[in-house]
This record gives sequence, C-alpha cells and structure tokens, in this order.
Amino acid sequence: MPEPDERRAAPPKATATGPGRVLIAVYGIFALSATARAGVQIAGRFSEAPVAYLLSGFAGLVYILATLGLAGSGPAARRLAWVAVGIEMVGVLVVGTITAFVPGEFGPDDTVWSVYGRGYGFIPLILPMIGLWWLRRTRAR
Amino acid sequence: MFDALVIVTLVATGALAVFGLVETARNRPPGKPLAYAVYATVALLVVQAAIAAVRVFGGVQVPETTTFLIYLLVSVCVLPIALQWANADPNRWGGAIVAAGAVGVAVAVLRLQGMWAVAGA
Repeated sequence: MPEPDERRAAPPKATATGPGRVLIAVYGIFALSATARAGVQIAGRFSEAPVAYLLSGFAGLVYILATLGLAGSGPAARRLAWVAVGIEMVGVLVVGTITAFVPGEFGPDDTVWSVYGRGYGFIPLILPMIGLWWLRRTRAR
Repeated sequence: MFDALVIVTLVATGALAVFGLVETARNRPPGKPLAYAVYATVALLVVQAAIAAVRVFGGVQVPETTTFLIYLLVSVCVLPIALQWANADPNRWGGAIVAAGAVGVAVAVLRLQGMWAVAGA
C-alpha cells in the first residue's frame, strides 16, 4: 500500500485532494446548473421537447452522481465515479455526434451535451476526459 | 438589466478568477485577501439579485421567470460554497476552486443579462 499518508486508520480521499477538488468544484457547478435548468424545463414546458428535456435531466443526474462519487471516499464512491464519468463520456460523444449530424434531432432546445457541449464552451466534452484521467491517476496501485 | 451593475459584477468576477488563479500559480493557500475578494464580489451580486428580483416581482416580464430567479439565486450562492470548499482543504488549489466558481457566476450573470435584454426593460 504505497499511500502517501501516515494515518493508516483514515485513508485519504484520493479523488478529493489537490487538483481533484477543482475538478469536483466544476462538476458541482455543472450538476447544479444542468439539474436546475432541466427541472424548470420538465416542470414548466415538458411537451415542447420531451426528449431533450429528459436528456438534460439525465445529464444533470449523471453530473450529480459524478460529483458525489469524486467527492466521496472509499471503493464504493470510486466505483460510482467511474460509472458516472464513463456514462458522461459516452453520453456527450453519442449525443454530440447525433446532434452534430442531425441538428434538432432532440427538439428545438439544446441539451447540455448537444454538439459536444457547444453551448457550454465544450467543457462537457473535456470534463469527462479529465475525470477519467484523474480517476486512473488516483487509483490504488 | 441595470447595465452598469452588470459590467461591475462581470469585472469583479473576472478579477476574482484571475486572483484565484494567481494564488494557485504562486502556490499559496487561500488566505484572507481572497476571502475578502469573495465577500466583496458576493455583496455586489446580492445587490444585483435584490434589484432584479424586486423588479421581476414588481411586474417586469422576463422570458422564463422561474429560470431567471433560479439563476439569480445561483449567482449569489456559488461563490460562498466555492470558498467553503476551498478552505476545507487549504492548499494551492483553493484559489483555482474560487476561480472556477467565479467563472460559473460570470456565465450566470451573462445569461441573466441575455434574458433581461429580451424583456426589453
């Protein structure tokens, strides 16, 4: 166990240390904004673009789970983070590709993942890459 | 939306982001000056949110009232939470956390400004 921590009883929150905390902050902001926006859309005008709004809601949920997984400690949190960030990576690639080639496929409104997150400075595309890299870097060796 | 105040809050959040990144680059944990910079920026955001909320409840029609009010709330809450998160583990990355929050708030203010412009108030 080459962990850089003397206190064996309290293992470090490997993903929630150092630059990982900046990553978690960005995930938290996306979790908050994506979920709030989708919540308003689903509650207020669901029938206008149900697929897009459900997709936005799903993305928001994935961001929440990724934030919790990365901020938490222990193998369960790490597993959650792997799954959530993995789904996020696949989601932004699939939705991004579909919307890039078939504009308006999911309705008139953009989702957070449309055209690889164009509406959000492509951060939705870069974020899961950094997330996966960080999970790999901080894993037990 | 009260254009002068929007410009002031955008400059403040931009300066705060630069300040945070400089602290990270200089390998310094988040200190008192960064905290005061956050408080000052949040004070501006609170004033902006209060004015906007009063005018929306006073009858100004923005395109999506609920979204607008949520963005107002987000614009005020993000930086205190970011500062808390930065101080919970005080090392060089605290500044970058505050910077991330500041950029997020700046985007929220821009979206608010966009909705307000549509309202034409």
